[in-house]
Amino acid sequence: MSLIPGFGMVRGMALTLRRFFEPKATIRYPEVKADIPPKFRGRLQLLYDEYGTLKCETCFQCAQACPIECIDMGGMDTKGRFHVHWGPPETYGERREESALRRSGRPVPDPAYTHFEGLDIRALDGILESFDHDPAHMLPILEATQAAYGYLPVAALKHISQVTGAWYATIYGTASFYGHLRFEPPSQAEQAAAMAARRPADADFMAGLGASLAGRPGGDA
Amino acid sequence: MTAPSRTGPQPSADDPRVMLDRDIGVFEPVPPYPPRTEREAEFYTLGDGQMLLNMGPQHPSTHGVLRVVLKLDGEKVVDLDPVLGYLHRGVEKLCENADYHQVISQVDPLEYISSLFCEWSPVIAFEKLLDVDVPRRAEYIRVLSGELNRIASHALFMGWFALDLGGLTPILWSFIERDEIVEMLAALTGQRMLFNYFRIGGVNGDLNHEFMSRLGDWMSRATKQIESNLTLLNQNEIFVRRARGLGVIDTAGALRMCMTGPNLRATGVPFDVRRAHPYSVYPELDFDVPTRTEGDSLARYLLRMEEIKQSIRIIDQCLHQMPDGPIMAKLPRLLRPRPGRAYAAIEGPRGQYSTYAISDGTDQPFRMRIHDPSFIHLQSVGVLMQNNLIADTMAIMASLDPVMGGVDK
Amino acid sequence: MTAIARTWGRLTLPGKVVFTLVPILAALTVGLIAVIAIFGGAIWDILLANLGIVRFVIAVTIILLVTIPIAFLNIYLEMKVIALMNLRVGPDRVGPWGSLLSVVHGLKVLMKEDFTPTGADAVVFTWAPVVTYGAAVMTVLVLPFAPGLIAQDFNIGLLYFFAVGGMGVVGLLMAGWASFNKYSLLGGLRSAAQIISYEIPLTLSVVGLLILAGTMSLNGIVEQQSGWFTDWFVFRQPLGFLIFFIAATAEGNRTPFDLTEADSEIVAGFATEYSGMRFGFFFFAEYVNVFILSALAVVLFFGGWNAPFPFPAISIPIDLAAIGLPLLFLIALVPPIATLIFAAPFYLMRSSMRWWVALIVGFVLFNVVAGGLVFAWAFVSFDWVAGLVWFLAKTFGFVFVFVWMRGTLPRVRIDQLMGFAWKWLLPAALLNLFVTAAAVVVVGS
Repeated sequence: MSLIPGFGMVRGMALTLRRFFEPKATIRYPEVKADIPPKFRGRLQLLYDEYGTLKCETCFQCAQACPIECIDMGGMDTKGRFHVHWGPPETYGERREESALRRSGRPVPDPAYTHFEGLDIRALDGILESFDHDPAHMLPILEATQAAYGYLPVAALKHISQVTGAWYATIYGTASFYGHLRFEPPSQAEQAAAMAARRPADADFMAGLGASLAGRPGGDA
Repeated sequence: MTAPSRTGPQPSADDPRVMLDRDIGVFEPVPPYPPRTEREAEFYTLGDGQMLLNMGPQHPSTHGVLRVVLKLDGEKVVDLDPVLGYLHRGVEKLCENADYHQVISQVDPLEYISSLFCEWSPVIAFEKLLDVDVPRRAEYIRVLSGELNRIASHALFMGWFALDLGGLTPILWSFIERDEIVEMLAALTGQRMLFNYFRIGGVNGDLNHEFMSRLGDWMSRATKQIESNLTLLNQNEIFVRRARGLGVIDTAGALRMCMTGPNLRATGVPFDVRRAHPYSVYPELDFDVPTRTEGDSLARYLLRMEEIKQSIRIIDQCLHQMPDGPIMAKLPRLLRPRPGRAYAAIEGPRGQYSTYAISDGTDQPFRMRIHDPSFIHLQSVGVLMQNNLIADTMAIMASLDPVMGGVDK
Repeated sequence: MTAIARTWGRLTLPGKVVFTLVPILAALTVGLIAVIAIFGGAIWDILLANLGIVRFVIAVTIILLVTIPIAFLNIYLEMKVIALMNLRVGPDRVGPWGSLLSVVHGLKVLMKEDFTPTGADAVVFTWAPVVTYGAAVMTVLVLPFAPGLIAQDFNIGLLYFFAVGGMGVVGLLMAGWASFNKYSLLGGLRSAAQIISYEIPLTLSVVGLLILAGTMSLNGIVEQQSGWFTDWFVFRQPLGFLIFFIAATAEGNRTPFDLTEADSEIVAGFATEYSGMRFGFFFFAEYVNVFILSALAVVLFFGGWNAPFPFPAISIPIDLAAIGLPLLFLIALVPPIATLIFAAPFYLMRSSMRWWVALIVGFVLFNVVAGGLVFAWAFVSFDWVAGLVWFLAKTFGFVFVFVWMRGTLPRVRIDQLMGFAWKWLLPAALLNLFVTAAAVVVVGS
């Protein structure tokens, strides 16, 4: 405080008046954008390598390391690439990646991971026996299994993996590669369509075919 | 002031179509349960001519979401009851369920004004648990960025304190100062507020050109600019008359209330963790521990402004003594310290900020206790505020400089 | 009939309103013209007989209308000046340099929900802003804006001013009590304590001036200060002016004495529970108060509408009738020619400029220059224009000082405020009064 009462206030007033004419600190946002330092990590974005492909390998290490779970994996984009999205996943409509769902403890809507029903494996054992448990004949085995059960149940795939020694992932990959193999039982409509497609065929021919193929792989049990 | 007595459902005054079964327009600060302690029973019993007033959690000048129930006699505060917990996150528990690296970003938002100090003490504690030697360059970078953050925090304190005393301008000037520092730290750490910069065994990223050029630019005019800002308040008769003798606490009282940091030093105790229990490279640096003897709000304010100058001194020395070398110690990706316990204290802008960590040999801390100075300082509010006026409640609170993120944890 | 009904049904809601209102208005206009045609002479006689009342009604209407732009201007000044002092830019989006932002604020306030809190005393709650705003507006009645431009030249003008201005506190007290909120109550009681305490030094500070002036009519006081600026009362009553200024700051609830709406202490004081246009009235009243207190300071101590030096009397006789027929050609030809002349340099100097942009620039420049010329002519030719300009310039200078103080100073505490009023201002005002009286006696004898 100064000796003369009120002089300090006058000095303050002089200071504000000087600031009145000084250049302003405001950044006029829409016209002028503040420069963002190169190291700024306020925004997540995937990098591209020099060939123009995404560097992300979808290893989920970033999402698993993130302590507050702000990083998460989104679904595929139109070109089949993964992209990371940020923010609460509830705001995104994409199908979430299975491992992300598993990590968050939510049910995975993929039949390969859901709890599967038990299966009568005697037919399957017969098929496997006929192929000598050889994983090299995986496609015929799977075709025969689908012919036997109408589709490829998860339990059957697990059993094939166990018996042949092939990795489940390989079997699943093979099965999911071919379009004519399916993981779900055909719906009522599909069955009806299939029946309608078969109707012109001669029933006797079908019966004969069935008899001739009886006990062989691909046969209609 | 009591509610007009009504019985049965009443039409609301706002909308006559709405029937209210009780007067919701009246929010009495009395808790809805019977008093649990003698103190509560005594506090919520009104004497002659007294009234209770809720200040917060939504109030223009509470610092964060603090609710204070004031017992008033006219304008005079007879008694008060702080109600905490509106910002409780359970950080200690979150830390116990995160691995050692993740703890750093969990504790970041505790004192969001000065995040680097929240990271610093757990990092030192974990380094003690792991028995790591931090490279000297990393230590210097830590001190450098920490002191910058201290200046940012103290500059903001100046603005808030003046705002609570009714000044409009200082808050914006101090925000300009803070913003320059924060942009600088964003260039260094990558974030403006929750830096997440310190790592166990070093720091995340070396000094870069952007940071150094901003720092040099700022250092060339920082002292002059801050001095100029201070003339607005330090010589202002109204400000000095209001702050002097406001919320006085003596040395014995401050020690009894476990005060640390500037609030303790304002009562004359030269206790600074940087000098009393040196950590990092502070023993090699030359700086003073300013003290004042008045113990009032003005002393606390002036002391913090003095600390800004000391921090600028430290930054200057850091820049001159900065060694070359690595910035991270060699550490495995997954940290599994041997079972044991470690304690680390640092001097934050608000006082002693410390962490006590227990390891059980897994990759997560078994127990992590965070000692936050804001919470400790807030308990002395009852002593400081009695027989003051309403106008001063917020100013006294501001002079203690609590951050509710740290109080509620 | 059905066609009319169908057409009516197709109309939108505004269309229906317009189609209803237009015939009513037309009928009313016709009726009014008929009444004037029939009873015109009699009405004119009655109006002439009661000229005072007519003048009063017209003046009140004009003042009510004038206070709104004044409040807008003050709000804009407050926003912009404080922003510039805070090293911000402040309003800069709506209108040139954001000058229309306060108008937008006014519209926003109009559109907001206007509610009464449960438990509030609805009648008092509703009338409080009216009382406050009314008190602020009524005081404008005695302000001499310019020679001859005064609504009512009371011989007790100053007394009226203080009496009516003091009524504003009643509104604040009503608002504080009726809001049913403890913060409002505290704010209302604070305003009562503060304003009543500061009325005393405020009134006493001008008593010395009244002794010197010998009249309470504000017009008379202004007329006594004509001539050089050394004749202004501020140089004969410096202490009186200082006390008056401090007390006026407190009267207008301005920083550093804005305890009634101290937002860091008692959320918004008496206005905590107000919203919408009721809050807008408090808001307006505050800024009108700033204006009238500045105006009173100018009138009492800074010579009112007097220029700071005797203005050399220049008269530019423009007898438009003498020009005769060429006047028509001038009116038709001068604007386009001047526009072209002003546009030419822009078009020639800047090749990137389109011709129509240059024309627009030239037209704007012509308007500015022509407006300036007309204003300069009016300034030197008419007494009241010059007086109004001087008065408004001085008054807004004071408004700037009030805003400047708000941008700089912190707020005082309530006990310091009261102590300052009773321990310092009141004795100083009494001292000023005694010294002035003694001087008058000594010089007069």
